[in-house]
Amino acid sequence: MRNRFYFWVLFLSTSVLLIFAIFAAYRAFSPEWADYQAEYKKELVKVVKDEAAKSKARSLPIEIQQMYLADLNGIDRCTSCHIGFDNPLMAKSKVPLKEHSGDYLKVHSAEKFGCTVCHYGQGRATNRKEAHGLGHDTHWDFPIIPAKYLQSACAQCHDAAMLQAKGWDQAAKGEKLVNEKGCRGCHKLNNVGGVLGKALEGVGSKPIAYFPMGAVQGEKTTYSWFKQHFIDPRNLVPESEMKISVTDEEADLLTTYVLSLRAGEMPKQYRRLAITDGAKQPADGETLYKRYCIACHGEGKDSIFDETFNHTVPAIRNPAMLRALDDKNLKKIVSDGRMGTQMTSWKATAAGLPERDIEELVVYLAKNRPAGKPAAFSFPISKADPKHGETIFKMRCALCHGKKGEGGLGLNLRNPVVQAFDPEVLAVTVRDGRKDTPMPPFGKDGVNLKDQDIADVASYVKTLAQRK
Amino acid sequence: MEGLNKAQNGAAVLFCSMLFSFVLIGTVQNAYGADSEAVSGKKIYEERCQICHGEKGDGKGLASNMRRMEKSGRILKVTPRDFTRGVFRFRSTATGCMPADADLLRLVDVGITRSFMPGHKDELKPEEKKAVIEHIKTFSNRWKDEAPCDPIPVKKPSWVGSKSSVEKGRIIYKKMKCWECHGDDGKGGGPKADKIKDDWGAPIPPFNFTVGALKRGGTPEDVYITYTSGLDGTGMPSYEDSLNEQDRWNLCSYTLKLMGLVK
Repeated sequence: MRNRFYFWVLFLSTSVLLIFAIFAAYRAFSPEWADYQAEYKKELVKVVKDEAAKSKARSLPIEIQQMYLADLNGIDRCTSCHIGFDNPLMAKSKVPLKEHSGDYLKVHSAEKFGCTVCHYGQGRATNRKEAHGLGHDTHWDFPIIPAKYLQSACAQCHDAAMLQAKGWDQAAKGEKLVNEKGCRGCHKLNNVGGVLGKALEGVGSKPIAYFPMGAVQGEKTTYSWFKQHFIDPRNLVPESEMKISVTDEEADLLTTYVLSLRAGEMPKQYRRLAITDGAKQPADGETLYKRYCIACHGEGKDSIFDETFNHTVPAIRNPAMLRALDDKNLKKIVSDGRMGTQMTSWKATAAGLPERDIEELVVYLAKNRPAGKPAAFSFPISKADPKHGETIFKMRCALCHGKKGEGGLGLNLRNPVVQAFDPEVLAVTVRDGRKDTPMPPFGKDGVNLKDQDIADVASYVKTLAQRK
Repeated sequence: MEGLNKAQNGAAVLFCSMLFSFVLIGTVQNAYGADSEAVSGKKIYEERCQICHGEKGDGKGLASNMRRMEKSGRILKVTPRDFTRGVFRFRSTATGCMPADADLLRLVDVGITRSFMPGHKDELKPEEKKAVIEHIKTFSNRWKDEAPCDPIPVKKPSWVGSKSSVEKGRIIYKKMKCWECHGDDGKGGGPKADKIKDDWGAPIPPFNFTVGALKRGGTPEDVYITYTSGLDGTGMPSYEDSLNEQDRWNLCSYTLKLMGLVK
């Protein structure tokens, strides 16, 4: 009785093992590439005319195809399935037997370039799923890239001008958007740019683990992440402060561009023309403003309290502000930034902007400055009474600037850059206000405080940083 | 002997300077009227409110040019209340009524989130708050002409926020066409959102529930009172007559879900 029981257990488990073994052997002897190659042979026999060619086609061996790319340090076996990639007779076949579209292979020979240099995917894999690297259970960092982002590969060797001339301008268009939408106000690229966001160098070849994929819809790939992040950054990264508003098409262009920002460099003999970095070309003030400032400051005409930043983003092209601040002060703000806010310090040792560019920016901003200087105070501000100023500050200024000057609707007055201003600059600002912003004039054009009271407030503001 | 003299001198200087500073503080306080004379609502208004609400109480003060940008990128103009019309949003009274004094006092005390109205809870004494409220009431004749209304009683049932209540609320949200303005997702982007104007003729974007608390506050009671009293002067009507109390609480449950306060 007992022996019989064990017999059946042994019998069943052996049978199951055998079935697996047979299946494995079958898979090993008949891989998908072998099927495709058999199909290829059949099609080839059909399309060739003369008998000699037919018999030649029949005698083609079925074997793994492999391209060894010595300079690129890679091995691509993609042509094991995509066997007809270089055969014009296969122009009308179905994928994967179809001939490669376009005339790219004429100038990019397969022996030299292989496939994965442009298409990504796993060149060494010998089945479709692993080679393409798609599907949630494959976890490959570089799955095959969809056609709409394919041009990101071209930018590895070609510069924007050349690609544009050929109509392969997707990455170049994306780069233009990056420079015009002010992305680099927060993102460093080629060592220049703000520090609020992540640096963009090499971001296109980062592994999947670099990206928080949790909320990504569909395939969890780098390119899906980029696209969806451009459309709604806070959906993927809830704490993000990124400011962006793009159409679907623009999001695709941007995705193509950032995918082109790969860490590794192509070998010299592969490159055509040096990749020009726009930032290294001397740029005028307007270009620089668009590249670095526009994402937060917009046209610079409106002072808006930003709920994402929890600060007011000031109107930096507001004539009233430019009247109160001379070029020296403007340059100091741009160079040093505003600590404790999202405003980056732009000097060469921080965001990396050369002094020449900062000066160029200041000239651009100052274009809106009205003629004439603000009226001077008839007495030295430095001798004012901060104690009296405190009483006025608590009543008049604290509503917006906070009880300790820490900011709210109004700017943070404890900020080192504000504290470094001459008391005259502060007094003029209090007296004349900032027209077209919520900051009203407290002098005779508005609240009608006396000059002495205004001077007292200004001298009190200068003491704010020393107070708790 | 000399040491004693020095100490005496020191004490005298200290005494004199203390006396001087008391006098100085006294004059400063007099100049800015803290407690010298009878509390004047007008004076407090001029010092603290006028800068936004304007000299005439018409909401056109010197600092009335305020804007906020929501996380979505939508820019909202923030308009200080115009007291001259006597129309108030945040009331505990029925639609068309004047607000109760307690309603105004609450706004003076805690301010209004996401507008720039600051709270004055510790800034003003109770009698000063009372005086400034009385002054605000001089801007419109409605305060004289109309009898005060009773506050709407609010008693939250225990089931508010429950799953079944949220579901009932979802149906009401659809049926009462809340989505026409507030959008299916409650983000304020309904098909009619761009067409709504307030009593002053300015565009008034519908509330985006997903930002969290209402301007008046974030409790279920605040949501319920909004549905019951309406927001006079805006496009938001009162549902006191068109929905029964239970349904208003159900709608409140669904709103809490849109706001992310219940699951």
